[in-house]
Amino acid sequence: MTPSSKRDLLPGMLDMLVLKTLTVQSMHGYGIAQHLQRISQEVIRVEEGSLYPALQRMRQKGWIKAEWRQTPNNQRARYYTITADGRRQLGEQEDGFAQLLAAVKRVMRPA
Amino acid sequence: MREWLARLADWVRRDRLERELTDELRFHQQQLERDALHAGVSAGEAPWTARRRLGNTTTVTENARERWSLPSLDQFQQDVRYALRGLRRSPGFTATAIVTLALGIGANAAMFGVVDRLMFRPYAYLKDPQSVHRVYLRSTFRGDERIFSTFEYTRFLDLQKHTTSFSRYAAFSGTSMAIGIGDASREHRIAMVSGTLWDFFDARPALGRFFTPAEDSTPRGAEVAVLGHAYWQSEFGGRDVRGERLQVGHILTTIIGVAPEGFSGVSDREPPAVYIPITLYAGSNPAASDRANYFTRYQWGWMDMMVRRKANVTMQQASADMNQAYRRSWEIEGEIEPPLTPLAVANPRAEVAAMKVAAGPDPGLEARTALWLTGVAAIVLLIACANVANLFLARALRRQRETAVRLALGVSRGRLMRQTLTESVLLSLLGSAAGLLVAQWGGTGMRRLLITTQGASLDVMTDWRTLGVVIGIALVAGVLTGLAPAATSGRGDLAKSLKAGAREGTYHRSRLRVALLVTQGALSVVLLVGAGLFVKSLNNVRGMRMGYDAEGALFVSRNLRGTTLDSAQLVQLRRELVTAGQAIPGIAHVAMVSSIPFWSTSTTNLYVAGIDSVTRLGSFTYQTATADFFGAMGTRILRGRGFTDADREGAPRVAVVSQGMAGVLWPGQNAIGQCMRVGSDTIPCTTVVGIAEDIVQRQNQLADARRFHYYLPSDQFRPQRGDYLIVRVPGNASAQQEPVRKALQAKMPGQSYVTVRPLMDIVEGSQRSWQLGATLFVAFGLLALAVAAIGLYGVIAYNVTQRMHELGVRVALGAQRPDILRLVVGQSARFALAGVTVGCALALVASRWVQPLLFQQSATDPGIYVAVSAIMVVVALGASMSPALRAARADPNSALRSE
Repeated sequence: MTPSSKRDLLPGMLDMLVLKTLTVQSMHGYGIAQHLQRISQEVIRVEEGSLYPALQRMRQKGWIKAEWRQTPNNQRARYYTITADGRRQLGEQEDGFAQLLAAVKRVMRPA
Repeated sequence: MREWLARLADWVRRDRLERELTDELRFHQQQLERDALHAGVSAGEAPWTARRRLGNTTTVTENARERWSLPSLDQFQQDVRYALRGLRRSPGFTATAIVTLALGIGANAAMFGVVDRLMFRPYAYLKDPQSVHRVYLRSTFRGDERIFSTFEYTRFLDLQKHTTSFSRYAAFSGTSMAIGIGDASREHRIAMVSGTLWDFFDARPALGRFFTPAEDSTPRGAEVAVLGHAYWQSEFGGRDVRGERLQVGHILTTIIGVAPEGFSGVSDREPPAVYIPITLYAGSNPAASDRANYFTRYQWGWMDMMVRRKANVTMQQASADMNQAYRRSWEIEGEIEPPLTPLAVANPRAEVAAMKVAAGPDPGLEARTALWLTGVAAIVLLIACANVANLFLARALRRQRETAVRLALGVSRGRLMRQTLTESVLLSLLGSAAGLLVAQWGGTGMRRLLITTQGASLDVMTDWRTLGVVIGIALVAGVLTGLAPAATSGRGDLAKSLKAGAREGTYHRSRLRVALLVTQGALSVVLLVGAGLFVKSLNNVRGMRMGYDAEGALFVSRNLRGTTLDSAQLVQLRRELVTAGQAIPGIAHVAMVSSIPFWSTSTTNLYVAGIDSVTRLGSFTYQTATADFFGAMGTRILRGRGFTDADREGAPRVAVVSQGMAGVLWPGQNAIGQCMRVGSDTIPCTTVVGIAEDIVQRQNQLADARRFHYYLPSDQFRPQRGDYLIVRVPGNASAQQEPVRKALQAKMPGQSYVTVRPLMDIVEGSQRSWQLGATLFVAFGLLALAVAAIGLYGVIAYNVTQRMHELGVRVALGAQRPDILRLVVGQSARFALAGVTVGCALALVASRWVQPLLFQQSATDPGIYVAVSAIMVVVALGASMSPALRAARADPNSALRSE
């Protein structure tokens, strides 16, 4: 992965991506980062520096829950699970994002 | 909101969160290391690759930490630590402030506990207390409007039948009766309640069941009883008592259940021991006519009524509905019992209002006095706050250099203010903790004074309502005391303070401090004036001739409890009791009477030739008495004679009338020899043979001069009546209680019994509002004076310390000791005089409102004002004496040397 292929995320988008990721299953921070990277085909690279504070923030807002569990390799890791509130939030963000995307597309359409 | 709670929760466990984050990042790094190894990086390089990928973990931690740090809270924590350090460093200041606040807050906590119980606290388990009301009736009788909440059961039925605004109705009453049999019987509180009462509550029986409306039916309810929880525990040890028999007064009942813990129905006194159906009680009344007629006639007013307002009905509508029902009931009564004041004259009205009588339309003197005392307690608190604020200001001045240094180092003034407030609030919280102890201790005394009948324990420590209020008061007091110092903190010229150096600043005159001091003095004066007024009221009421000597008299009441005696037997029993009483060694006078002052009175129709309607002149009460009555009671015969054994049945009918009655019935004539007809205008004359002094036998007669009373010999008028015995004993009445009881009890047939009490108990009860006012005003007044004196001393002493240098210079320039003394004491005297002036003015303004609470005492009595002013000035001079003497020893040498 070269630096040029890395795209910066718009503000607020990280939350949405993390929430979406967690709808698949409960994951630890590393898993979330890996998942996003893989699904986005290495386009999106989440900075650990912003991932962990974002996780704390979302936990305080009640969108996700955190608990310590054993990994399949018998290591202790903190797993995050999306809550009902988080799903509601995700829905809202997805709608907002879709609208934004449509708007951007309309603007960028060749005249 | 929820996010902030989460943040707060995170802040509390922020250390753990940080450790967890570290663990989490380490795990992440391990995973990255493993990835690197998979990708073919060498074992030595892998950790480094991972670390590079992970980036700056310190930044991550710091960013995350922001999520759970609350800067204001951190700062607050620092401020608290700083404040605690400061308080520890000046123990004298801290102790004085805490004690002062403890007295102020304690007084308020205790008063709140009392007033809350008297007026506001809803009954335990009561569902939706806002819609539950007591019914109050008013009617005008001989020009006086009376408000009352106790009326007839028939009236209760009428009001229930003719109203539509209410979903529930219940009647209730209470009394003390002996429970149990023989020697094991003890007097307890009994509640007589409707079977519908339980539905007002959200209470399930602790055992068994409550009685139902079907068991509470006229003419006589079922013989069932529900025990109070506390009584069940203490008497039956909480065992299963269902089906057991219980003798309640003269009624034999079966226990069917136990009320839950803490339940006391709508009793304002101690929790009832037993609840019985109200119709069981009424239908078992020993008086046959009451027993038979209580639900059809309007002669026996004995119970209160509570209602639950329907949800869609306003208070006004509910009262209007009750009002029309009362007027209808009045008309119905008029048809059954004709000689009733016409509707237009009596103007009967009804309303629904607070369940607590003290919060209802006619709260009574005691409740009003209690409210006044709450205001007084608040004033004590204000004085305490002013005092502590003053101490704070003094300390702030002492710390001026420290403050200047901190400001110079860049502490913001806002932060400085917050710190001061933190300190004052902390101090007042500490003060309120100590204040709770004061309240606990003082509240016991207060309960004895005020709510002797309120029973329920006044345990402030475990009462969350009081605790909540105390914490509220503490916060307000904290802000109040901190406001002045906070506002002045960090003001003034920084450079000057820093430069002042060793001699810490110069003598500061603070207008704020003077104002606080004068306020304290003024408020103390107000309280002391109040104390003087109430003490004189109490003296007046105590010194008043009641028309009998309550001291040294015992009164004996008897309860026949199921033993049925016919008239002849009753007369016989009465004679035996009087004889038995007279046989007790040392006892001079014994008489049987039909009523006891402040306890009961009797009236009957009275006809006098030449007067259309005697009742229009006022209320004439009668007493039937045996021969020795005037000796036993101590009521003086002014003219004519009292009764003798010759005034018996068949002898000419005689009466003794009170002086006031003689004056109003036969003005300007000799009452002796006049004829009056008692009970009916067709029976023979009763001739007046003596005139006795007026007596006070009702609370309102203390102030009202209309005291019309007459006496009839027991043998000649309703000889079977006469439930009470008056026994005059030598020496201390309460010491004779037991011997008298034993001697008389021996004569009582069956399960009947006698109760003996000093007459003084009852008479003193009538003086309680003044006693309460006098005691608490004196206590609070002295408290205020002490606090103000401490405050004055503190300020003068501080000023002297500040001026030591200046005083030294004065001495060096030739000032003599008396000059210096005059200087310091004069300043104190000026403060005191200012306080006295303002205080007297305030007291004069307040006098209008306090006047109705006093007894034959002008609220503007100049003697009291002068005396209080003198006390204030003397105390002020005393408080300044020791600093003044210290000032007089000012050493010119040290002053000059330091220059």
